[in-house]
Parts: sequence; C-alpha cells; structure tokens
Amino acid sequence: MISRSLDDHMPSSSTSPHPLQRNLAPHLHPFQKPREYARALTAVKMDRMFAKPFVDALGGHQDGVYCLGKDSRRVGVVAGGGGDGEVIVHSLTLRRPLLKIPHAHKGMVGGICWTSESHDGQRGMITAGKLDGTIKIWRSEAFAPGIRDKELFQGSEFASGFGSAGHQQHLDQAGAIGENGLDMDVDFDEEEEGGGLNLDFAKRDKLGENLEPKMVYTNKNGLNGIDHHRTDSVFATASNTVQIWDENRSAALSNLQFGSSLETVNQVKFNQSETNVLASVGNDRTMCLYDIRTGKAERRIVMQFVSNDISWCPTLPTTMLLASEDHNLYTFDIRNLNSPSQIYKGHVGGVMGCDWSPTGEEFVSGSYDRTVRLWNRESGKSRDVYHTKRMQRVFDVTYTPTADFVLSASDDGNVRIWKSNASKKLGVVSSKERQAIEHRQKLVERYSAEKGVRSIKDRRHVPQSIHNATKLKRDMIESRKVKEDRRREHSRKGREKPKAERKKAVIVEQK
Amino acid sequence: MDALLASAGPLPTKKQNYKGKQSSTYTKKSGPTSHQTIPRADGTSIDPSLHSILSSTRIPAGFHQSNLASGSGSTPIKPDVSIGRIQDKKLRSKLARQDITHKQAKLDRQDVNEWLNKAISGDKGGIEVDEELGEKTWRVKQSEISDSVSVGSKGKKFDLKFEGMGSYKVDYTRNGRHLAIASSKGHVATFDWQAGKLHSEIQLKESIRDIKFLHSQDFYAVAQKKYVFIYDQNGVELHKLKQHIDPTHMEFLPYHYLLATVGHAGYLKYHDTSTGVMLTQIPSHLGSPHSMAQNPHSAIIHLGHANGTMTLWSPNMTTPHVKLLAHRGPVNGIAVDPSETSAGRYVATSGMDGVVKIWDGRMWGKEVRSWHVRNQVTTLGYSGMGMLSVGGKSGVTVYRDLHSGNIQHTPTPYLTLPLPSLTASSVKFCPFDDLLCVGHEKGISSLLVPGSGEPNFDSNEADLYETYSRKRERDVRGLLEKIRPELITLDTDFLGHINESRGGETFEERNSRSYRQLGRLERLRMDGKADEPQNQLEDEDEEGEGEGGEGEATQKEKVKRKMKGKGGSTSRYLRKKQKKNIVDNSLLAMKAKVAAQKKAEDTRRKIANGEIVKETGALARFA
Repeated sequence: MISRSLDDHMPSSSTSPHPLQRNLAPHLHPFQKPREYARALTAVKMDRMFAKPFVDALGGHQDGVYCLGKDSRRVGVVAGGGGDGEVIVHSLTLRRPLLKIPHAHKGMVGGICWTSESHDGQRGMITAGKLDGTIKIWRSEAFAPGIRDKELFQGSEFASGFGSAGHQQHLDQAGAIGENGLDMDVDFDEEEEGGGLNLDFAKRDKLGENLEPKMVYTNKNGLNGIDHHRTDSVFATASNTVQIWDENRSAALSNLQFGSSLETVNQVKFNQSETNVLASVGNDRTMCLYDIRTGKAERRIVMQFVSNDISWCPTLPTTMLLASEDHNLYTFDIRNLNSPSQIYKGHVGGVMGCDWSPTGEEFVSGSYDRTVRLWNRESGKSRDVYHTKRMQRVFDVTYTPTADFVLSASDDGNVRIWKSNASKKLGVVSSKERQAIEHRQKLVERYSAEKGVRSIKDRRHVPQSIHNATKLKRDMIESRKVKEDRRREHSRKGREKPKAERKKAVIVEQK
Repeated sequence: MDALLASAGPLPTKKQNYKGKQSSTYTKKSGPTSHQTIPRADGTSIDPSLHSILSSTRIPAGFHQSNLASGSGSTPIKPDVSIGRIQDKKLRSKLARQDITHKQAKLDRQDVNEWLNKAISGDKGGIEVDEELGEKTWRVKQSEISDSVSVGSKGKKFDLKFEGMGSYKVDYTRNGRHLAIASSKGHVATFDWQAGKLHSEIQLKESIRDIKFLHSQDFYAVAQKKYVFIYDQNGVELHKLKQHIDPTHMEFLPYHYLLATVGHAGYLKYHDTSTGVMLTQIPSHLGSPHSMAQNPHSAIIHLGHANGTMTLWSPNMTTPHVKLLAHRGPVNGIAVDPSETSAGRYVATSGMDGVVKIWDGRMWGKEVRSWHVRNQVTTLGYSGMGMLSVGGKSGVTVYRDLHSGNIQHTPTPYLTLPLPSLTASSVKFCPFDDLLCVGHEKGISSLLVPGSGEPNFDSNEADLYETYSRKRERDVRGLLEKIRPELITLDTDFLGHINESRGGETFEERNSRSYRQLGRLERLRMDGKADEPQNQLEDEDEEGEGEGGEGEATQKEKVKRKMKGKGGSTSRYLRKKQKKNIVDNSLLAMKAKVAAQKKAEDTRRKIANGEIVKETGALARFA
C-alpha cells in the first residue's frame, strides 16, 4: 500500500520552500509536444510584444548626417559628420552633443575616425572633407569628459586645452572601453541640478567655434573615406587612390593603387587583427587589398555592382563584408575571393553602410531605402529591420563597442540609437529572469520551423513603400528566373547551365 | 598578406623548455604582435590571450563519460546513422549534438526511474500469496487487507451511506485529493477526502446523470436533467450551459480546458471553459450513447453506442476518427489505460452481451483479449498502474497484467469486491493512491486495492500536497499553456512533422510548375537527394536489425491524382438517369454523344501511339 509521510512533502518550516517531487516518466506528462508548442507560441509573442528597438535620436545637425566616427576605445562617444561640413561629437550616455565644430570642412564631411593613442592628454579625432580635400586632426579635452575629475571640471575653463597632463594621460589610457562612464553621469547630473545647463551649452558652442585643428593636410582630390590604423599613428584615406598618412608628417607616406588604374575609391578599412592590411572599394566595382608594409596592392576583384562600404570582421581576420549598390551585402573569405561566402538579401535600396558587431557574429547595415537591418553572419535573411516615419535615407551605421546598441546616421540630420536586440531588457536582469529568457529563446528556436511560430517570429511591419518594393522585386526576380528556366528547357541539353548565385557576384579576380 | 592568412588559423602554442629550466639568454623580442598587452591603471598589464582557456586544457579523467559511476556512459553515445548523410557540415553537427543530448536525457531519466522512483521492495506493491498452497489473491477480503496495512492506510477505507438517494457517480480531481459525488436523485457533494473536509453539499432536487471536476477542485460541472451547470467550491451555481441539452455523459480535457458532453440526442459538444465559448457540436448520428471516456494521452473522446459500436472523436472532424463494432449489444463501459506500459494505447470496453474486450489503439482490427463475465457489467475503470476494475451487479472485480501472459484465457481476477444486492454505477481509481471508489445505490465505498496507484507523482503535474499559492500558480500557468483544440489528433506525435502534400492541385498544375517554383522537398526528390523513408529502411537492413520483408511491405505514400474531367456534368447526368432506369430520347442522344466522343478520343490515342495510320484525303472526315 502506498503510504506517504507528511514530513517528506510539507515544508519543514514556514519560510522554507515547498518540497517538490519529480517523476519524469513520460506517461505522467501527457501532451508534452503540444504544451511545449503553446509555450513557444507565447514566448515568440512576448518577444514581439517587447520589441521596442528605438532608444533615442541625437539631433543638432543642420544638414543630413553622412558619416559616423565610432571611437572603438570608448563606449559613450560617437562623432557625426554633416552635409554642411559640421562635425558633432555626441555623448550616448547623456544623449546630447559634447562638442560642435560648425565649420570643420567646406562642404560635406567624407569620413571621421579617432586616433589610436592619446596625444598630449587629448583624444584626437580625424576628419576628412569630401569636397575641400583636407584632413584635419582635432584634439580637445572635451572629447573625453569622463576622464576629468570633478574639481577640475568645475574649476577650469572647459576649453582650457591643457590641464594636468600626466593625470590626464593616465586616465586616458585607463579609459579604454568606458571605465569612468558612471562618474561622468554623476558629474553631469549634479551639474544640471545646479542649473548650469545653459551656461554649459554656451560654453560648449563657443569652444567648438574657437577650436583649431592641430594638424591640417591638404589633398588635391576630395576624400570619400578615412580609417585609422589600430595601434600605430597611421591612417589611410580614400580619394582617387588610397593614401597612407602619418599623424606627425605633413605629406602622405605612400600612394597605393592597383596597377595603373585610376578610380574613385569609396571607402577604405584597416584589418583589425593583421593591422597592416587594408581593403578598399572603388567606383569601378572593385574591391582591392593592400599591405602597407610592402606598399603594394595585393589582389583585386571586380564585381557586378559597385560597393559603398566595407567592414572587416573583428573576430575572423579573413572575413570581410561588402555593402553593395545592388541591395545586397556580401561576405568574403579573402582566402577565396572567387565567390562570396554568403549573400545577404533583404534591402530594396542600395546598401550605404555596414558594420560588424564586436562579437563578429552579427552585423548591421543601413540602406538608401530608409531602413536599418540586422543580420546573423550565418543566414542570408535579415534578423530584424528597423525604421521610423521620420528616418530618411540611412548613410552610415555602426555598432557600439558593447554590442548593445546600433547607431544610424541619416539624411534627416539625426543620429539614432537603436537596441541591437529589439526585445532585450535594458538594465540589470536577475538570474531567474535570465533563465526564463533563455528558456523562451530556446523554445522559439526549437519550434521556429513550425508555421505558427515562424510567421510571428519573422513578421515585420515595414512601410508600404518598402513592402511594395519588396514584392515587386521578388516578382521581377522570380519571373526572370522562370524565364531562364524555360529557355533552358527549350535549348540544347548542357548548353545553358544554371549558374549559382554566388558565382555570379564576382566577375574577375586579379592578382 | 600571408601573415593574415596564417593568423586565421589557431595560434601555435609556445614551446616550453623541456627540462623546466629557464634559459637566461632568451629574451622576448618586443616586436609587433597581433595580440597586444593592455596596460591597466594600477600599473599592471594583462595579455588577454593568456586568460582564455588553453588549447591543451582537458577534462579530468574522472569526469570522462566512460568513467562515471553510473556505467550508463560506458559506451559513448553516438548520433543516429542517418545524420551522417547530411551534406551540410554545420547542420550535421548541430543535429548530431541534439541527438546525443536527447539520448543522454533518456538515459538520465532511466537512471532516475531506476534509482529514485522504484518501489523499495517487491515488484509493483500488490498482494502476494503463496500460490503453491492454493491461496488466491481474489479470495483476500477487504477486512483482511485493512487488518494487515498501517493505520494511515486503514483510514482510507470508508463508506458513505445515503439511503434512498439513487445511484451515485463519483469523480476525483487530477491529483486524487478531492472527491465529487452525485446521486441520480439530486444529492451533490464535494470534499477533500484525505482531510475529511467538506467543500460543498447541495440538494438539486432533479435527476443528475454525471459529475466532473474542471481543471481544479474549485469548479465542477453537473449534468442535470435539462442542462449542464457549473458550480464553484462552495456549491454556488456559476453557469448554466444552455447549449448542452439533456446531457448524459461528460468529460473534461484538462490541458485543453474543454468540457465535452453528449446527450440523448447524440450530439457531442465541446465547450471551452476558459473562454466560455462553445467550440463545436458534432452529431454522432448513432442515438443516445451508453458510455463515454477520454484518452488522457491524446484527448480523443470515446463514445459507446447502443448498436454495439465505439466511435473516437476529436473536435476537428465531423466524422469519427475510428468507428468499430465492439460488441453485440450496447457498449456500456469504456476505459483507457493511462499506465506507463500503455500510455493511452489500450482501451477496455464492456457490452451488454457480457463480454469485456481489450483493444490496442495501434490496431483496431481485432481485440487483444476478450472474456465473458457473469454479472451484468455496467462500468469500467483503469488505475494508474494498469489495473482494470469491472463494476457490475453485486460487486466489482479487479484484474491486473492484462496485456501480458496467456492472452487466450480468461484472466484470473486480482481482487473481488462484493457489493451484496447492489450495482456499481461508477468505479474510479484514485490517482496516486491504492484506492478504488465505487458509487452504488447506497452511497459510495472507498476500497483498498493494493498496488493499483502510481506511487511517484510529479508535483509539477499533479501535486498531492498542493498549497494555496502553488494552486494559484498552476491555474495561471495552465491557462498560459492551454493547448489549442486544433492540436487534438489521433497520432500524438503529429506536431513538428513535415506535411508533404500540397492539396488542391491538379496533376497538370503540378507538372506545369517550373523547377524553381517547386517546393524544397519536390526539388530534392527531382535531384534524387531527398531523404526518403526507404533509404532509412535500407540503412537498418545494413545494420542487420530490420526484418527482410519489411522494406517491401511498407506502402508508398499515395499521391492523390486529382484529374480534370472526372465527375463532370455529363457523366453525372448519365449516372443519375441510368439509376432511375428510365430510357428516353434525351438519354439516348446523350449516350450516343458520349460514345462518339469516346471513339474519337480512342482513335486519337491510337494515332498518337502509331497503332493506326491517320486517314487523309477528302473522305477522311467520314471515317
């Protein structure tokens, strides 16, 4: 006979938890699959319910924002370059400009990057003019507000230029990946309570107007892109050739070009692991690899369409990402440049910018079709698509160094902050909650092939125009393919072989 | 450039001095490396690459799967052979990992069942007698059992006597803690039988045909003379379900929150008790049913009818899933075996013809076992360990081990529980306890049946010691995990499989689609790369496990060929006319037309095949 003791099944004291007895035999757990499915359905619905990716828009630009400069050593700062030559350094934590340089360039700003090492205790920002062909290095304490301590901040002039240099240097090096971010918040909050906000803005504007570049380089041609070497004081620019510059010398170190070809180079990027290798994309539909130690162009591929942007994967040194004008993105393994390793389809306008997440597993892209898309490296379909009514054509996107947020620069003069995971909770998550979240994720993953779950998971509301464009594009491609099929059916056997989509992308590889 | 290519691979480990001596002459060159040390504020510097797990790190041998004490991991678990055929490397490794995890979980569960959940002594905890001395278990009386069990168990045997109230129906909640009784003359009571606490007792003063608890002890439904009513724990009438007219039987599907009722009119009605919406009502077209049961593992409703048939229903089909002639008389008892060995596969039925039959849900063609019982059977019940109680006139008989042993013979009863001059109107085993509750004309009797109940309950499914807060939690979770009624299927493993057929397409439509427009499976099949079940069988044959004839025996799945032109208006017209057997001019004309068409079609086919030569020339039109 079954006889149970209450001692085993009742809590030993009023505060202790209720004892649980488990029996995992399947006959006591009927409908295992349907119940799990119901749970997965709830999980995926919750995921969509909490998907609120938009965090904030950082304004202040008079014209559209056409380039972003991320300081990979600090979390909370990003610079945006406007169409009227204005450069604004935004603080992401405070969500307001730290410094405005109204006439940094004549005409559009082509590119912004940050120096790798601090110099005289001041962060350096390098900007390149798209029309005036100048490169300017700006150095100011205002770029790094987190590294000043409180009395210094209150006592000295904002634009004092040199504070206690040794102290500054020490802090600047330690300030890698936002260590003092919290202090900064406290400082500014206290200051706001004191009512010094207006004064602060005025000072900031004055500082920006009076700020003089520490170094100015001139170039005959306009500059389309700029990127800094990871460790050395060397940077590369893209004009009609790729030029290598030193921060301490006034003339270019070298000019790099493939053979004798002259083309407009759109973008240039240094590799993050093998730091002397760089890649460029050009107007002749080319992608070219250089090595600055040999000073030569190594390889080049010619593709079907021109690429607008390029990005090196931070964790896989041989992987690079191209944002193409043909609405697609391509990843290449540079050991095999014959064909891309993956094609990413989804945009319905030319892709203007792309950036890898610091983990190298995901990346973000911004397009002329007014959307930002997020992708997994391994799948050719986008994971998510972000848009708002007011966001216009997106010209540059970037991941923040913590991989939590994505920034987009668009025509409408705003830098927008988005969450990189639309439904992720910001702030502290208890371990119990995290377990529940992980459980839900796993459930969704498990049932994502099922129609009911998949349709909720993949469904994204996009503007009517994009929806229509997607449909039209799909129909066009479909009918083209069907026509090709039919033609093949009625031609001699083996004459017209179908060509894989990946093989079509690259026309020729040159060495 | 080459350095970049080299750096894509794993970095080689630094060679160490073999004897452990430090060579003083060696100094590290401070050349550029791909990994830089990061100077910290406190003057130290860290090399991030040193702080990751070294490539030479190993799991200690004691933790190796093969060295674990359980022995279950003595042979490494290997993924399914069929996974090896997958071309895609990533997918293959992912599926292999999943497969290994599943197999490991299965082994773990077996271990848990073997070590923790097994009965401490004996096999299943039933009565043991000395068979050699001629002792029989069915001769053991209730008084003898209650004398030899502990005081706590003795208290579980009780009788509630209500004279002149009619025959009683009983129902337990899912955890077996609470009991509801209802007499045919209107007496209803619910109580916690273990604590001896009465929840509600009401006199409805009209005939009652059935009583069922809903998802918890808080609510119960009563099938009364005209309608179904829902009462709460205090006996307050909450709802009158007007759509359920003249109900005779009820079942509640706890995971779907569906109340299924059937009445004299023979309509099976599903009512969602969480939303209060009538889901569907299905006419059975077989008149007033004599019995009803649910399969707790598939939520299929079984109905027993007056003409001896048993039908299986789900809310998704207007026709029964299965309809079988079970008895040569009305089917008045159905029970589904919920035990571990059966898991809803075995069904017992009893008929007015005095036969009890056991059916296997995987093959309805013939009963597994059948035997005659002498007393008139009225009701059946299965216990958590697979014991069958057959209740009838003047007593209840309990059988065990019905699916094993010699199934040709009449089974020997395990226990006989006589009820002199009474008829059992309802028998229910208490879940997770060794009790059988019998409702009869003089109240109810709770009887001891050792070894009938499942001893190891799971608190997350049915908690015997449920507190108020845990019940609240379970109520909310249950609603959140409510299964949609569309998922009730005869095959419980249906969810998550690929539906191959793409309905509503004619053969021509399917053939006219371009290769690109085909589905993935069709395309793979065209390329000869589809993962067909035949391949799997061949693989099994290679392993030497599968039977030789099985490969041919499995039928190929038939692709439905819907042809245009079949069942058209002309042939329908002809069929109708010919049925009536009236020959008139219009029919003759139509027949001639059809014959001419047929002939023309025939010649066209023959010409195409080259059997005859097409006549040409001026006279060809008269051919």
